[in-house]
Amino acid sequence: MNQRGERIFDVIYQEKIFLSLSSILGFILIWHILTDVLGLFPALFLPSPEKVFFTVYEKITVPVGEEKLFGHVGISVVRILVGVGIALALAVPLGILMGWYEDLDSVTSPLIEVLRPIPPIAWIPLAILWFGIGLGSKVFIIAIGAFFPALINTYIGVKFVDALLIRAAKTLGAKDKNILWEVVLPASVPLIVAGVRISIGVGMMCLVAAELVAASSGLGYLIMLGGDDLKPELSITGMILIGVLGLVADRVILAVERRVIYWKKE
Amino acid sequence: MAERKRRQSSRRLVLSILSFTVVILGWYALTSWARMVPPAFLPPPQYIVTDFIRVIGSPYVGNTLIGHTLMSLQIVLGGFFMAILIGIPLGILMGWFKRIEAVVDPLFQLLRPIPPLAWIPLSLLWFGIGLKSKIFVIWLAAFVPCVINSYTAIRLTDPLLVKAALGLGVKKQRDLLWEVAIPSSLPVILGGVRIGLGAAWMTLVAAELLASDAGLGYMMQMARRALEPSVIILCMLIIGILGALMARGLRALEKRICPWVKQEEH
Amino acid sequence: MDGNQSKSKIVADHVSVEYEKDEKNFLAVDDVSMTIQDGEFVVIVGPSGCGKTTFMNTIAGLVRPIKGKVLMDGEEITGPSAERGVVFQQFALFPWKTVYENIEFGLKYRGIGKEQRAEIVRKYVQTVKLEGFENSYPHELSGGMKQRVAIARVYANRPQVLLMDEPFGALDAQTRTIMQEDLSEMFVSEKRTVLFITHSVEEAIYLGDRVVIMTARPGKIKKSIQITEEDLVPNRRQMGFDDVINMKEFLELKAEIWGLIKAEILAKHIF
Repeated sequence: MNQRGERIFDVIYQEKIFLSLSSILGFILIWHILTDVLGLFPALFLPSPEKVFFTVYEKITVPVGEEKLFGHVGISVVRILVGVGIALALAVPLGILMGWYEDLDSVTSPLIEVLRPIPPIAWIPLAILWFGIGLGSKVFIIAIGAFFPALINTYIGVKFVDALLIRAAKTLGAKDKNILWEVVLPASVPLIVAGVRISIGVGMMCLVAAELVAASSGLGYLIMLGGDDLKPELSITGMILIGVLGLVADRVILAVERRVIYWKKE
Repeated sequence: MAERKRRQSSRRLVLSILSFTVVILGWYALTSWARMVPPAFLPPPQYIVTDFIRVIGSPYVGNTLIGHTLMSLQIVLGGFFMAILIGIPLGILMGWFKRIEAVVDPLFQLLRPIPPLAWIPLSLLWFGIGLKSKIFVIWLAAFVPCVINSYTAIRLTDPLLVKAALGLGVKKQRDLLWEVAIPSSLPVILGGVRIGLGAAWMTLVAAELLASDAGLGYMMQMARRALEPSVIILCMLIIGILGALMARGLRALEKRICPWVKQEEH
Repeated sequence: MDGNQSKSKIVADHVSVEYEKDEKNFLAVDDVSMTIQDGEFVVIVGPSGCGKTTFMNTIAGLVRPIKGKVLMDGEEITGPSAERGVVFQQFALFPWKTVYENIEFGLKYRGIGKEQRAEIVRKYVQTVKLEGFENSYPHELSGGMKQRVAIARVYANRPQVLLMDEPFGALDAQTRTIMQEDLSEMFVSEKRTVLFITHSVEEAIYLGDRVVIMTARPGKIKKSIQITEEDLVPNRRQMGFDDVINMKEFLELKAEIWGLIKAEILAKHIF
């Protein structure tokens, strides 16, 4: 509810749009001027915006390494989906059980508390040692990264459900099992979804890390290749695509969240 | 009631210790005793201890464990502090002044979905293999959460509090920002700082994996090449412990700076 | 009416206020005109959601009316000011400041020196009976205690006009009675102008010089009842709350006012 006359700190909508658009255009313009017009940066260093644009255009048909552009995108997407999928399939059920059964929590906690602080990226050398440079090591890293946020959030969501709701359910005759399914789980969905969102974010980061270190395909590989071959436009292409991928993933999750948590306002 | 709680927590403690011991013993059994798992794959637990003793004093790939650790820490903290020095004020200004937000935000949103790791090849291209390229990426990793949290917190300042201040005699925008918006946003801002440090630490490890000649990440990479998984695991544990210590330190700092916040665990 | 009568402190001249919800505009306050004399204690009662708070916000300067204007001392009110102190329904305490620092807040902006501030804060901490809690943070206090801090904070600032939006709403019955008696006493000794919103008819009659009854949304003034000296014992404010509410005249007034409100609620189906 917004009371007319409360606009203490507002700037007109149109002014905002204008400033935002000119900011982006200004950025590209300055980039263009610095590279093409003034030639301040050698092409090997920082390519002009047009060069990036054409690279993207070109690589859709001309392969880099063993794949064309969409091939690389596809490979990265597959890795993420598999990695995050495995992680969620393990983390969410485990989180629910840990949150509900205190004894299970006591047993698994120590192991989790030791492993959790280790950044997923630190697992890369071990993963390569174990799984080689194939799909396995990448999926492993992504899965490790995605596992813990989902686990923790699910656990908290289940464990800290408003005790009042559980009491209400009990006084209405519900047994333990019903309570878990009908009260606790729905109540913890917001947190679980939040955890999934974080997992995907971390998963993307792990994907990039794994593909940077040891891969011969994928967007991270593109980025790294650009650096190695002194073709920064390739790197920038990869970076932009990762960014886009991240945005798309986030929007999808937000849409899912809105449908699943229809009972929460805003 | 207190008796019941005490019994519950001692039960919990016992189970945790038991579980931990079982895991270690199992690990030992699988690797050392029954030799079901080759040491090149998963080293027996005692190797980690012996390695620790070995590398803490004498150099491993160029420096002792302590030396490598200090190197890593220096770089992380350097980049981290630069990030909060610029990030927090920028976030605050973006949150308070709509015009600044309109100009900076679009650029920020464009760059945000790109994981800082992805900047590593470009950074190497621009700054070479030395310190600068690492600090840049680490700075980026810590910068983003700082800005986002500061910006969000300021934007979400409770308008009721602002009204209360106005009704008590505050007139200038500058005073409102300083007396109401910033103090009320401190907890979230510090949360962003904590996230930033975690991100910076992770990014450092990745940077060291890719191109470094010192540091914990480098040590891990070399250990992998030398097929010494025990050293890898040792480094992983140290990275994890350091990360956890830093997070805890920040949390303690948060408690001192914001004594009015109800502390929740986890 | 000439200048030899007490001055009109606050004048609301055909004030209408709109608010926005789900992209539609609703009228919250509909052509309300009211004059509050200097030193008068006016209480607004009415069914829930009738626009009482919105109206008070226009006088506070937090909201601008769509039509009409609000004046203080003859000058149009364009924004909030320390001279129109507000006690909010939701307390609005600064969570990062202690009780002491909250109460002290407005005094700093009046340029009052440190020692004098300490004196004033101490006085009002005593008034609201929160001695011992000066260094506590709001989150450590109960709802009733928070409300007392909110009240002390505004009292300490000594505004010319006190705008109080259901300030005793979160208090338990006993504390509420004590606070009502305290406010009454303070009003007699320090004579300020007060606009008070409440749901409690008893509170309204006990505290007010005049009770204004608002209709359901959009809020208009249904009736304005003066509590004159004929209606109620003149020194009621020095009497205890429990003594006053059982007096015959009090009960008659209460029946009349409550009857009007009830009619509003039933007519507009807002329960």
